Amino acid sequence: MTALLEVNHVSKQFGSDTKALSDVNFSVNEGEFVSIIGPSGAGKSTLLRCINRMIDATSGEIIFDNMNVMNLKKKDLKKVRTKIGMIFQHYNLVNRLSVIENTLHGNLGKKSTLAGVLGLYSQEEKEQAVNILHVLGLDEHIYKRADQLSGGQKQRVGIARALIQDPRMLLCDEPIASLDPNSAKIIMDHLRNISTKLGITVLVNLHQVDVALKYSDKIIGVNHGQVVYNGSPKDITKEDIQLIYGSEAEDLIFDVGGIHAS
Amino acid sequence: MEANEQLTSAKQLLDPQLQKKIRIKTLTKSSVVIRSTLIILALLSIYAFISFDYKQLDVGEAVLSTFANLKAMFLEPHLKHFTFTHALYQVFVTLGLAFLTTLFGAIIAVFLGLLAAENLTNKRVSSMIKGSVAFIRAVPTVLWVLIFAVAAGLGSVAAVIGMTFHSVSYLVKAYSESFEELDNGVIEALQASGANWWQIIFQAVIPSSLTYMISWTFLRFEINFAVAIAMGAAAGAGGIGFDMFMASNFYLDIREIGAITYFVLAIAILLEMVAIRFKKKLKVNG
Ligand SMILES: Nc1ncnc2c1ncn2[C@@H]1O[C@H](COP(=O)(O)OP(=O)(O)OP(=O)(O)O)[C@@H](O)[C@H]1O
Ligand SMILES: [Mg+2]
Repeated sequence: MTALLEVNHVSKQFGSDTKALSDVNFSVNEGEFVSIIGPSGAGKSTLLRCINRMIDATSGEIIFDNMNVMNLKKKDLKKVRTKIGMIFQHYNLVNRLSVIENTLHGNLGKKSTLAGVLGLYSQEEKEQAVNILHVLGLDEHIYKRADQLSGGQKQRVGIARALIQDPRMLLCDEPIASLDPNSAKIIMDHLRNISTKLGITVLVNLHQVDVALKYSDKIIGVNHGQVVYNGSPKDITKEDIQLIYGSEAEDLIFDVGGIHAS
Repeated sequence: MEANEQLTSAKQLLDPQLQKKIRIKTLTKSSVVIRSTLIILALLSIYAFISFDYKQLDVGEAVLSTFANLKAMFLEPHLKHFTFTHALYQVFVTLGLAFLTTLFGAIIAVFLGLLAAENLTNKRVSSMIKGSVAFIRAVPTVLWVLIFAVAAGLGSVAAVIGMTFHSVSYLVKAYSESFEELDNGVIEALQASGANWWQIIFQAVIPSSLTYMISWTFLRFEINFAVAIAMGAAAGAGGIGFDMFMASNFYLDIREIGAITYFVLAIAILLEMVAIRFKKKLKVNG
């Protein structure tokens, strides 16, 4: 297996004293499902955004598909971004537009400025959007306005918008943090399927450790901007969890043993 | 009987603290300032009425003749110096002036508004545009028309330029504020998929603020209609305002003023109705 993404010695400093990331190293293989866990403020969102340069890292190198993302010029950066889909906790859809319009937004990066501005999409693009929405179970909602959907449905539109990009990798920043357990399961199952069936690499920030352990091929534990665990979910121990979440995590509500058993 | 007894016992149960008067408003610095300002203003107006120089004027008689004038104006309106069709035509000239200046203003304001919205440009450009626009807005429209009249001469050209100028400043503020309402996450999401600035503007920013933009533009159109009437009288921009000016200052015919007022009122009501219709439709479809 080849590494699709390599993060080498990446640091990020906000202002003069907030060190959000310090010397982060890891690599992600093609088609892998990786969860990043860690306490609030650990730097998970920052890390994810450094990968597609929504935030510029202070130092280090990020290799995506054999290109150093950090050195890319504006035009090449846009090209790389079209290959990386992003999914957000708050869905970030355009509320006043329909589900299919929001889905097609994923294609803007590949279109000319004018076609994008006027919202001109080809027949194939529209068919692809309809197909993706069908797979995600949104057939009935294609022409609904985005703000008329439930949270779980909105997040599926978010996934559709990312999938239509035909991405190599998905970055998901707490995709289930605002959802009830049922919708959360649907979203996680879809993400897992995307990784397994489509071979798309998925990188997810999660707050639910049990979910992370259940779905992932690999866990990256972050604390205070540093990677403190990097390995398979099977090998994770209670001590590792304590290392990631700090000593006060003594009695975290779940039981690692129980999860491994299931 | 029984119900009554229950009531009293319920009252007794109430905490004595709750029976005390509960203040809803607390005395903050700003409320003290607002109240004292209001009190001072009230005192000043009473003083002004007492200290007026009424000369030989009989207030009762003055009020009566004012009512007589109003009665003549509104209950016996007529058109003497021009025909109904002429009046209608002139109303459309005034409407045209208002429409043109609003349209010009809106087009320019969309672009300046985009540059003035903090989430779409950088802070420096934004505050520069917002600052200059605030300055333009602080000077009344009529004054701008008169300023441009220095170069263009008193007339419709000065009116169009001056009114457009002020409309731009007004709409830039309104538009940029509605653009700023858009959640930053939406912009981030489209940026992350590789979309460029113009695509984000037309696919996310403008669709999200369209209803606001349209209601602000309508409001400005109504303002411009009123200003256009005044411009007809004050700056010789033509239209119904000029006829009103002639009726009042030249022919001294208050009945004709009444007729023109009815015309203007009818148009204003019509505009309002169209605006409401339009907004309703937009809310349903938009
Ligand atoms: N734009 C910014 N400017 C300054 N500091 C920032 C900025 N964004 C994040 N930080 C700081 O960087 C650190 C990491 O933040 P980040 O949002 O990456 O944490 P997180 O792990 O995603 O937390 P959460 O789980 O709550 O989302 C925090 O200390 C935060 O205050
Ligand atoms: Mg975060």
